[in-house]
Amino acid sequence: MIALHLRLRPSTRRLAVAAGAIALAAVVIAPLSSTDAAQQAGLPLLTDRLWFRIATTVAMFVALASAWNVIGGLAGYASFGNIAFFGLGAYTTGALVSNLRWAFAPALLAAPLVSALFAAVIGLPLLRLRGHYFAVATLGVGVAVGEVVNNLGPLGGATGLFLPILRSDLLFFYLMLGTAALAVAATWVILRSRFGFGLLAIRENEEAAAVIGVNTIFYKVSAFVIAAALTGLAGGVFAQWNSFINQENVFAVSDNVEMILMAVLGGAGTVLGPVAGAVVLELTIETLAGGGSAAVYSQIGLGVLLTVCVIFIPRGVIDFFGGQSRLSLGYLRRTLRETSA
Amino acid sequence: MESAGGILPWSEWGHNSVSLLAVNDLGKRFGGVQALQGVSFTVQDGDVLGIIGPNGAGKTTLLNCVSGLFRPDRGDIRWQDRSIVGQAPYRIARLGIGRTFQIVRPFPSMTVRENTAMGALFGQPAGRLQPAEALRQADAVLDLVGLADKRSHPVLRLTVPDRKRLEVARALAMRPRLLLLDEVMAGLNQVEVEQALEMVRQVRASGVAIVLIEHVMKVIVGVCNRALVLNLGRPLLEGPPSEVLRDRRVIEAYLGERYARGGDA
Repeated sequence: MIALHLRLRPSTRRLAVAAGAIALAAVVIAPLSSTDAAQQAGLPLLTDRLWFRIATTVAMFVALASAWNVIGGLAGYASFGNIAFFGLGAYTTGALVSNLRWAFAPALLAAPLVSALFAAVIGLPLLRLRGHYFAVATLGVGVAVGEVVNNLGPLGGATGLFLPILRSDLLFFYLMLGTAALAVAATWVILRSRFGFGLLAIRENEEAAAVIGVNTIFYKVSAFVIAAALTGLAGGVFAQWNSFINQENVFAVSDNVEMILMAVLGGAGTVLGPVAGAVVLELTIETLAGGGSAAVYSQIGLGVLLTVCVIFIPRGVIDFFGGQSRLSLGYLRRTLRETSA
Repeated sequence: MESAGGILPWSEWGHNSVSLLAVNDLGKRFGGVQALQGVSFTVQDGDVLGIIGPNGAGKTTLLNCVSGLFRPDRGDIRWQDRSIVGQAPYRIARLGIGRTFQIVRPFPSMTVRENTAMGALFGQPAGRLQPAEALRQADAVLDLVGLADKRSHPVLRLTVPDRKRLEVARALAMRPRLLLLDEVMAGLNQVEVEQALEMVRQVRASGVAIVLIEHVMKVIVGVCNRALVLNLGRPLLEGPPSEVLRDRRVIEAYLGERYARGGDA
């Protein structure tokens, strides 16, 4: 129903679906070649540990960018506080495993619950603010929660929290991939539901949404809670994967900015935009990370890229294939058809 | 009807005299500005009530209070004998009160059809629709307001009169029992006003009561059965449009003293 879905021609769509399916299958199956059983069977080693680290990080950012997209892209509330949900999830799992000796599985399930509850509590007052007021307020929450945790003795204070090491590249890769898949699937379902249309209406004009019968407060808080639960789950997986968490690695505002960049560059408000943004941007960052001065130029490059995208394809790179933007293939095709007719 | 009596309509004994909407002694202040004071009126099924008054008279503030965007400081607003003061806008919408905005507020990235379907999807008192059904109902409404051939246009390509039509369409898709129209004919030319008048008549014929704010006197006379004049937030006069527009106080407040002296109205 909605204008924001990708509008591809059937032939293009079939091709895209096929390519996507093959890529997804490769991502899911390739890691299995590194298990002992596969090695003994003489299969080629497709993956090494560095690959796992990068792939798991990419999956994590797909989850984070998609989760941010639910509140930032669909409801139009640019949250700079999602990092608080990530950190709270990480510290929930961390504290339960490290301090209370819980098993990892139940400790992981507690992470999204704590983050979601926190989102509901702060969402009720914060979601009354709009635009940059909301952005600044959530930024404050993100920083404040990090500072509080940093000063809580039972949570390790400034030292951080150590978790018993669980060595399984495969497990954490699949857990992050699962979290990412959950976030993408949630967005897909929301965009096809009455709830999703309500969020879009709020984003497009909140007062108009209210007077046609959209329960704006409930919708906004629900979107915030869903984003928080997904972000918290990713945080919980990260805590055990990294086996060490502190303020710097789970409450970094720069990570929050990265989620936003990924979603916006890829296409905020779409299902696949944040996925594309996260994969491309994170791979770029990982590639340039070790390059010394290249890292500095990459920062400048990201800034230029963002500016260009916002000016020419404000709805994100995904829109390039969809057809609203003047630089898109769809626009070109329409123009050609109209001028040749 | 005894609606002129003021208090009687929402007495719990008056089975037939319960008003659709009853506003009683409404007051709203913004800082040092008393935007509304002592405003009372009722709307019955089948009514088309015109609200007129100079700029700043409190007309839009009044609609905002009724639709729940503003909370009045004093007085009561009753919908079928139940107070709706303090209720959230979405609840008031689902009771059956649709409205338009003077400065149009479409959902910019959606098409005309999708915009209209949103009204059907969320605003109907009867309950939940599937998106496909909402779109079907949107088509019927677009026929009524004359936007059928532009249903797949993006809103940003619409002209001003068409955007005003879209405001009405979205509100109508909610299947309201009362429609609040805030200057839907401002800025339209003669032909467009005639078309809009015809649309309002059709809406009225379909059993929807209407409250409309309008500066175009032709509209007030052409479609309203009653008119309420506001001046500086206070009610000046209420009655049949032709009488109201002949009243000297109204002409002075609204059209200016010179017009009152020189006019033969």
